[in-house]
Amino acid sequence: MEIISIKKIYNRKWTIGNILIGSFLFLPIGVLFYNLFNSKGKSFKYLFENLLFDYSLNTIYLILITCLCSLIFAILPAWFISNYKFKGRKIYDVLLFLPLSIPSYIMAFTYSEILSFTGPIQTFFKNFSPEIADFLNKDYLQIEVLGIILALALYPYVYTSSRISFSYIGSNYINLSKTLGLSSIKTFYKVIIPLSKPAIFSGLFLIILEVLNEYGAVKYFGVNTYTTGIFRAWFSMGETNTAIQLACLLLIIVFLIFVFEKKSNSNKGFYYSSNSKIQKLNMVVKKNLPIIHFSCLIPFLFGFFFPFIFILNNSFKIISSIEYKELIVLLVNSLSVSSISSLLIVLFGIIFIFIEKNSKSKINVLITQLVSLGYAIPGAVIGLSLILLFTSLKKSFFPISIIGSIYILIYAYIVRFLAVGISPIRSSVEKMPESYNDTGKNLGLGFYNLLKKIHLPINKLALISAFIITFVDLLKELPITLILRPFNFDTLATQTYQFAIEEMLKESSIYSLFIITIGCVMLLIFKAILNKELDVS
Amino acid sequence: MKIYHIIIIIIFSTFFINCESKNKKINEVNLYSQRHYNVDKKQYENFEKITGIKVNVVKANADELIERLKNEGADSPADLFITVDAGKLHKASQNGLLQKINSNKINIDNQLKDPNGFWVPITYRARIIVYSNERVKKADLSTYSDLANEKWKGKILVRSSSNSYNQALMASIIANDGIESASKWSKGIVENFARNPKGNDRDQVKAIASGQGDIAIVNSYYIGLLLSSKNDDEISAGKAVSVFFPNQGEDKRGSHINVSGIGLTKNSPNKKNAIKLIEYLTSVDAQKIYVNNSYEYPVNTLVEPNEIVKEWGTFKKDSLDLNLLGKFRNEAILIFDKTGWK
Repeated sequence: MEIISIKKIYNRKWTIGNILIGSFLFLPIGVLFYNLFNSKGKSFKYLFENLLFDYSLNTIYLILITCLCSLIFAILPAWFISNYKFKGRKIYDVLLFLPLSIPSYIMAFTYSEILSFTGPIQTFFKNFSPEIADFLNKDYLQIEVLGIILALALYPYVYTSSRISFSYIGSNYINLSKTLGLSSIKTFYKVIIPLSKPAIFSGLFLIILEVLNEYGAVKYFGVNTYTTGIFRAWFSMGETNTAIQLACLLLIIVFLIFVFEKKSNSNKGFYYSSNSKIQKLNMVVKKNLPIIHFSCLIPFLFGFFFPFIFILNNSFKIISSIEYKELIVLLVNSLSVSSISSLLIVLFGIIFIFIEKNSKSKINVLITQLVSLGYAIPGAVIGLSLILLFTSLKKSFFPISIIGSIYILIYAYIVRFLAVGISPIRSSVEKMPESYNDTGKNLGLGFYNLLKKIHLPINKLALISAFIITFVDLLKELPITLILRPFNFDTLATQTYQFAIEEMLKESSIYSLFIITIGCVMLLIFKAILNKELDVS
Repeated sequence: MKIYHIIIIIIFSTFFINCESKNKKINEVNLYSQRHYNVDKKQYENFEKITGIKVNVVKANADELIERLKNEGADSPADLFITVDAGKLHKASQNGLLQKINSNKINIDNQLKDPNGFWVPITYRARIIVYSNERVKKADLSTYSDLANEKWKGKILVRSSSNSYNQALMASIIANDGIESASKWSKGIVENFARNPKGNDRDQVKAIASGQGDIAIVNSYYIGLLLSSKNDDEISAGKAVSVFFPNQGEDKRGSHINVSGIGLTKNSPNKKNAIKLIEYLTSVDAQKIYVNNSYEYPVNTLVEPNEIVKEWGTFKKDSLDLNLLGKFRNEAILIFDKTGWK
């Protein structure tokens, strides 16, 4: 009896703490909903009736293309690398990650430049073979092309999640299906894919959110998506309220997808069953080798190598005009803001997940879900909500100058990117056997010691991965930085964007080169950790 | 322990970033700016060299900055608000965010001035027609409204209606000709599109060069930028087209123009410095820097445009009160949506 009551007190204390931190991080989203119910945007009805249908159709179409292409780029290489032994396998495994370091808007701008009439490809053929040049002279600013480009930038999300899943599906399942007479291809479709569905979907979910939040590339390609609608209301019609209403609607839809996905997968607990051993690698039949190399090379070449070389080449062209002093300032700004924010995100992430896991109270689960919602809101709208929040608080608590301070910027980053940091921590903690916790509790460890002595050491690698993933995302972050930054504060991303948007891709190249290089280094570390942590061969 | 060390170092480094900007708080001026051209940095550095006043800048979208100004209210640190569209300055002054600017040292073209005195233009640009040298005869071009004529079916290139330059152009047409004929015009243009609106202004010119269309509506300075590019193909794309100023002639109203302008915020904490910066930006020296770097037109009557721009000749400017570009903005959007200009 006594033990139970002690546990309850602990629970309550931690739950209250959790609610406090949770509401602190949920505040900006709350402000949006407060505004939703307290004001009427005049244009909402207009937008809803006239444009939203079109915008939504475009959005769905773009998401479908991006997801489909991402699956094509990701699933096959993930399957081959997880199951077959061939030369270059380990290198591919690393290379396929790298596109994640290229911001999607840079990918889009770069590709439209490469493909354009004055770009390198058409120019080459103009001198070499005018017929081919004529054939290539097309309008590439199409929604389908954009979908492919976004997929090239985003497929690593699916690659990571499915790669882990494929490695973990025990050889038992595969042997069984082979014994039952299914061919390799059939095994893949009938056994592997269904078993990996939750993992693949979690990757796709991130891609969907990224596409929903994409603004720069989408605008450039003349594709009107739902987010275009939000900004049309705000920037063109000057109605912040309507923009907020649309953002809230988007949020609710995303939340529903999220819940639906959770529900539909909740009864598939067999997925990481303990009898699943890492699969032994199969030898490749020689005639299949080209297919494997082809499917691994294509996503890497188009998702990373070509754009990277193009950007590198551009950087060399402007190397004489680079201002190194400025570059260093930008570098320090980007690195410090991103690393502090990622550290805090990891810190909050572990608190949320730890409490959710250890107190059985449903409210803690809900809190984690609510604070993760920030990722579904366009960055500029988060910026707006923070401005609204702090101006309503200013008289009582803060001097107004807090709005243009680095602290608010970091706060906004945390609100928006918490979900990114939480997900690797969650997947690691969920794999931890219950018995560790129980043993710890039996030995009389309180919540704090449980966290310090058991959870932190065991999940150390996951925490570092969470740090790196959020760090790379923050390095690329644009809209929040633009609206909330202090005076004279530029990051690599804002500097890149500022040139790119003014149609000066060359001048922007050196800054994007740094974003990509730093991102690459971090991702390589991440990959090494991932392999170690999961013991994925 | 090592990780803690790193954390501490990082946290200190942010304090360092913050302190750096706070220490110099004595003689400064704070800008919220929508302009993000390289030339602006040059101007601010020059200004600091001459006056010793440090220029602090936040660059973002005009509407985001307006929202920030609105919410910061009387406590806003901003002294000046710079946009690339008179309509946004109108919006800011409508929201009570600006105060009148009094200075006798500002020497600019009267036609470009704000009749209410809330903002001062620093450069201006025309939204012009460019046409394919190969496929279009200059004699066939005349006015903006003529572009809605059937004879241009499948030939017109222009960027999307989310773009503020197009919104300003449509607002000017509404202000001049009324909503009904503006709608009719928009419908005609949409029917004449060579492709769905997309890309930026330079892309429209490239699309003419590549044969996807024959006529584009673009801002004048982009042609200057193309012609002065370091990429040979961009130069040849720029050379494949010619510049045409629409609505010229005695009985016509002139080509649509818009300004990059600067407004003094209502509660400007460094008002004296702010006025000094406005005076500097409209001075002969600063205007010369503008025209030779961004190929915009100078607002100071003593300065001439860049050589490349001068070659296109002089033109008659639409004399419309530029505040109307802001006033009719919403109507313009409704027309775009109604007529399917994406």
